[in-house]
Amino acid sequence: MNRRRLTLRCFFQVFLRTFVLQGSWNFERLQNLGVLFALAPALRQLYAGKALQDAYRRNLAYFNTHPFLGAPILGAMLNLECARSEGRPEEIEVDDFRQMVMAPYAAIGDALFWGGLRPFAAAIALFFSFKGSFWAPVIFLLIFNLPHLFFRTAGLWLGWVQGWKVTETVQRYNLPDVAIRLKEGTVVLLGGLCAYLTFQLLRGEGVPIFCGLAVVPVVLLCGWATRKGLSTLLLVWSATAIAVALVRFF
Amino acid sequence: MTIVLARIDSRLIHGQVLEAWVPYCKATCIVVANNEISPVQKIVMQAAVPSKMHVYIDKISEIAEQFYHGKFADERVLLLFSSSHDALEACRLGIPVTRLNLGNMHAGPGKLRYTSTIAMNAEDIDNFQHLTESGVSISVQSVPANRETRFSKLLKRKIPEC
Amino acid sequence: MLISWTHLLIGGGAAVITGLDRTAALQFMICRPLVAGPLTGLMLGDWLVGMQVGMLLELLWLGRLPVGAAIPPDDTQVAVGSTVLAVSLAEIGDGNSLAFVILCVLIAMPLGKAGQFFDHLARARNGRLLMRIEHTLDNKEGCSEYCHLLGLFNFGVASLATYVLIVGCGTPVLRYLGPLLLPSLTPAADWVKILFPIIGTAAILGMVNVNRSITLFSAAYAMALLLLWLA
Repeated sequence: MNRRRLTLRCFFQVFLRTFVLQGSWNFERLQNLGVLFALAPALRQLYAGKALQDAYRRNLAYFNTHPFLGAPILGAMLNLECARSEGRPEEIEVDDFRQMVMAPYAAIGDALFWGGLRPFAAAIALFFSFKGSFWAPVIFLLIFNLPHLFFRTAGLWLGWVQGWKVTETVQRYNLPDVAIRLKEGTVVLLGGLCAYLTFQLLRGEGVPIFCGLAVVPVVLLCGWATRKGLSTLLLVWSATAIAVALVRFF
Repeated sequence: MTIVLARIDSRLIHGQVLEAWVPYCKATCIVVANNEISPVQKIVMQAAVPSKMHVYIDKISEIAEQFYHGKFADERVLLLFSSSHDALEACRLGIPVTRLNLGNMHAGPGKLRYTSTIAMNAEDIDNFQHLTESGVSISVQSVPANRETRFSKLLKRKIPEC
Repeated sequence: MLISWTHLLIGGGAAVITGLDRTAALQFMICRPLVAGPLTGLMLGDWLVGMQVGMLLELLWLGRLPVGAAIPPDDTQVAVGSTVLAVSLAEIGDGNSLAFVILCVLIAMPLGKAGQFFDHLARARNGRLLMRIEHTLDNKEGCSEYCHLLGLFNFGVASLATYVLIVGCGTPVLRYLGPLLLPSLTPAADWVKILFPIIGTAAILGMVNVNRSITLFSAAYAMALLLLWLA
């Protein structure tokens, strides 16, 4: 196995450096400097002199993916770089591999973490925050970061061990469908949250509870308005103005 | 058969397409028309899409033929190209594109950067001019929440040399 | 009625830490208003105000994802800035903290638009780092990959600039408009408080790709309301 040449210490260095993958995000080649920065300790172990310079240059090419799903890609790139430095033929070249997976993995990561897990964690934590509990941010961070850190560590490790075959492992878990389930869960939780808030308000103000059903059309109307391109800022301002006016006249 | 969005995006299937445009357009099917996709890449790309959505990835001529035979008759299609050249070829082969969205076009040697995400060379502009003449309306918008910019307006901008 | 320097500096520290977490480093999501608000509040000695800011703002732009080159509105700095304003200028609020917190958020929100601009600027500046690394590659054996870390500096400055703008413009606006607007906002404060999450929910429902999201939402809403009502 190639692992003889890359020490565990080097792996750990790469792992720590993946946390600043987007540190110098630029419009020219997006995360490319981050990739170079993350892989540099490993490249220095594998190559020297002219070969090292070439390796640096190769890794300066365009790169962009989701920061968490970047871990398995970087891991696999480490593995493929090892193979390359030893002159071992691999089915896929490093450059082709990263070219191929970065966009689809960006899609998976965006859907799973930004679209799925983050709103899910926020919806749960908001129940606690409206209760005035100090634990709300802690709960949010725990729900979000346990899967996040698992992906970073396991992803980099599996990529390193399995090489480009890590794509098969990732595929097995059918992450885009997991993301959809999380989103469905979020929609239900948000329904509950809105009902909870409305109930508390109406009971406090002594308004009959069935009036709370009016919230559903309001939500649908606002949702439609945002879809049509009305900015959230204007919506919040005008809604506040309407609420102030209504309270004053009734 | 409706093409709800035809888009040029050098990254093809990625987050902006799946997380922003698919829900916005209520697309049911993603069609990628590209001549250079390897079988492995095809599998990786298909794996990024939720299983309820249909994905077709094929050569431009094949896709055009399937459009002709009405394969996508009851789908809401989101059509993706990777370059202006592919879009022009698709139109010439009869894929019914009336509006074209420019999402990401990467910088490269000899290309000028028109917006932060769009870089074009003379050939690209030429291709788009041909498309405009054949009645396709072209605009730049990377995600639905951003403002849409007409292509003709884009060309009037002063471009810094890069 | 001016913000004390200590508050301003502490807030600036919070702005940089949470701002970096947004894109440049870590991504532990301490940049979300729900965390950034209470964190800033805690540093200023009143976490509850920060929590109120956080829960008002959290859902509003949650559906705007940082995908590819798209830059979502800077809700992090809006949260940090509003918290600093609400804690430091609490005298204007005069006892009714909720209405004042809402006012701070309403005023900070449009100023936060500048965040997108500064973020864009930082990313454009990062392009120079690329040239710098390529330059060292051409001339020397090795390469200083540490140029990359200068990008963190650019992002940090962008966050700080947004924060300074929000607090700097927010303070005079609050001083002059606050006493005018507060009397009418105060009786409606409890109603406005739930408007924020409701509009946020609507924005998320408008953009989420879930089949029958409206059905799911309405059923969950009706069920929860009935349970609370009849229980």
